[in-house]
Amino acid sequence: MDEIRVRPAEPPSHGVMETNPRFGEFGGVFAPETLMAPLVELERAWIEFQQDKGFRQEIHRLLRAYAGRPTALSPAARLSERLGCEIWLKREDLLHTGAHKLNNTLGQCLMAKRMGKKRILAETGAGQHGVATATACALLGLECRIYMGAKDAQRQRPNLLRMRLLGAQVEVVRHGQRTLKDAINEAMRAWVGDPQNSHYVLGSALGPHPFPRIVAGFQEVIGREARRQMMDWGGGLPNKVVACVGGGSNAIGVFRGFLDDEDVELIGVEAGGHGIPSDKHAARFQGGWPGVLHGCYTWLLQDEDGQIRPTHSISAGLDYPAVGPEHAELQANGRARYEWADDREALKAFAMMAELEGILPALESSHAVAWVIREAEAMQGQKILINLSGRGDKDMDTVAGLMEMDS
Amino acid sequence: MNSSAKSKTEIQNALQQNRLCRRLRDMRRQGLKGLAPYLTAGDGGLETTLAVLRELDAAGVAAVELGIPFSDPIADGPVLQAASERALQAGTTLAGTLEMLREFRQGSRGAAGSDLPVALMSYTNPLLRRGWWNTCQEVAQAGGDALIVADLPVEESGEMREAALSAGLCPVHFVAPTTSEERIRQAGAISCGFLYVVGRVGVTGARTQFDASTQDFLAFVRQCTEAPLAVGFGVAAAKDVSEATRHADLAIVGTALTARMHKAASENQDFLSASVHAAGSFVRDLLRGLAVAAVPEPDQNS
Repeated sequence: MDEIRVRPAEPPSHGVMETNPRFGEFGGVFAPETLMAPLVELERAWIEFQQDKGFRQEIHRLLRAYAGRPTALSPAARLSERLGCEIWLKREDLLHTGAHKLNNTLGQCLMAKRMGKKRILAETGAGQHGVATATACALLGLECRIYMGAKDAQRQRPNLLRMRLLGAQVEVVRHGQRTLKDAINEAMRAWVGDPQNSHYVLGSALGPHPFPRIVAGFQEVIGREARRQMMDWGGGLPNKVVACVGGGSNAIGVFRGFLDDEDVELIGVEAGGHGIPSDKHAARFQGGWPGVLHGCYTWLLQDEDGQIRPTHSISAGLDYPAVGPEHAELQANGRARYEWADDREALKAFAMMAELEGILPALESSHAVAWVIREAEAMQGQKILINLSGRGDKDMDTVAGLMEMDS
Repeated sequence: MNSSAKSKTEIQNALQQNRLCRRLRDMRRQGLKGLAPYLTAGDGGLETTLAVLRELDAAGVAAVELGIPFSDPIADGPVLQAASERALQAGTTLAGTLEMLREFRQGSRGAAGSDLPVALMSYTNPLLRRGWWNTCQEVAQAGGDALIVADLPVEESGEMREAALSAGLCPVHFVAPTTSEERIRQAGAISCGFLYVVGRVGVTGARTQFDASTQDFLAFVRQCTEAPLAVGFGVAAAKDVSEATRHADLAIVGTALTARMHKAASENQDFLSASVHAAGSFVRDLLRGLAVAAVPEPDQNS
């Protein structure tokens, strides 16, 4: 595709922002004017949070005493034996509510409470971010409204029920593609409608600045812990760190722990859906090119006219047309590379993990495992760390349906 | 990218010929206020859009905002989202819209050409697709006068501004009730054509009454800048137009117009004529609000 690029904001001026809204040429603040003041306010809160020792201690305490950090690092002995490489699993599936999402929602909700916000808004795809947000709101006594696409509400029904039990008001979005993208549209509209009283808890490392930095900042605990655990009893650094990439918050979280370790290869795995040639996938780096969606300049699946293209993935959490801007930069500067695994491979990985390791991984995380299974032959003897971003209980209906079809 | 940016004088000269700037200058000189309807291009097909444009021109609007549909319009409420979806389903593109605009300018099938100022309004992605430079050149060549980009704040607008000005287009900026005074002044200082005043927080069409807080905000913006002001959000009746134009130069009506056109179109076999008729009669009704506003008020010396 022809090269059309937005020039990066001219350094050192960040406009109305105090910190750089860009990752290389990616990112930025492509937001309606109404949201500029709330975004500036949020950036200030984020800067203060990072400097405030008491606040950092509070989130640290919550992560330990409530969320269950640090999460385990498990050697995957039987899978390793089967594949001929040494596989380690960072167990974010063991975090309270069953995925890495709570790292971010506890942090953002605590910030929101301190900013005096009364109401929390959030989108959700697989429902994990919605559940994690509703959980943080229940814990901190905040009002909570979650937007979820109708297609996702159906395929991730257990999570819809969990959110309601947790006291959240769930709005099912019935227009557009009825998935994560449309849930974000609706949550952003709600925020445009009430920016003073509401805080929008974006669930992935995307959106307008400062969201990508905030979300990555709260998720990098995954990488810090994983690196320490690998050094302490994993026998040193891995050769590769592998994570699935939807918006990319679990991946950026684990990658950040290893960015300075130049010998550690970072691999993000996107959703290949029915395969790249089918055009029914969510692999932005395979079939997209840069553009602007939901507030940032990044790689998108779009058509010749700049309209956002429908996506497909078996996993609701990866079924999204844009990738977080920090990943776009890591790909551009070559620090990370981005691969894909398709629906069928992900299901196979799901089954293999259950059988060999006694773990039901989320279908999202199964994509990372699937890529390792596919490439294992070329990685014999290597030490590979997979970020197991969530557990698969929520996916039982989808998996059961497909298993019946296959039998 | 073309780096041979034009000099300030050249830009001023380019905008001297800009239809929107000329219209706003004339209105100021004559102490007039105006109505600027918003239409989603291709809602009902581009044939309908062309016919409605001609009807609005005949009715006497001051300018038109022509929306280029986008798949994910985050600043729009349900009515304009649906219009965007219908337009995309009808196959509307930027290129097709510009072809229609060219026809509107040149005249066709017995209709005369028109000099009505037309501002193109959209989101970043569909305009960025061909690059700001190419998009601005093409919009100008087709007869557009301004670009309004809902998700492009001043901070991100550098390249669009440069490209628009070089093409003789007005890059329009926004202010909203959440915008700080300093920022309003800055936006006013660099505004070309008009400054787009978002009358209240919220997406388009969320409320259909022009309320007191909007009026206060408009009065405040008026104090901050000399720039011509266009106010959107909440204009649905002639009295709203009167209210809006107490401080603003232009009242924008989008959601209420779109809803009426769509209702008429879905209730009639000949949806094109029905849309045109609905748009014409509604806008003529709204224009009566300007007559009221034109009654001199003690504090107005324009």
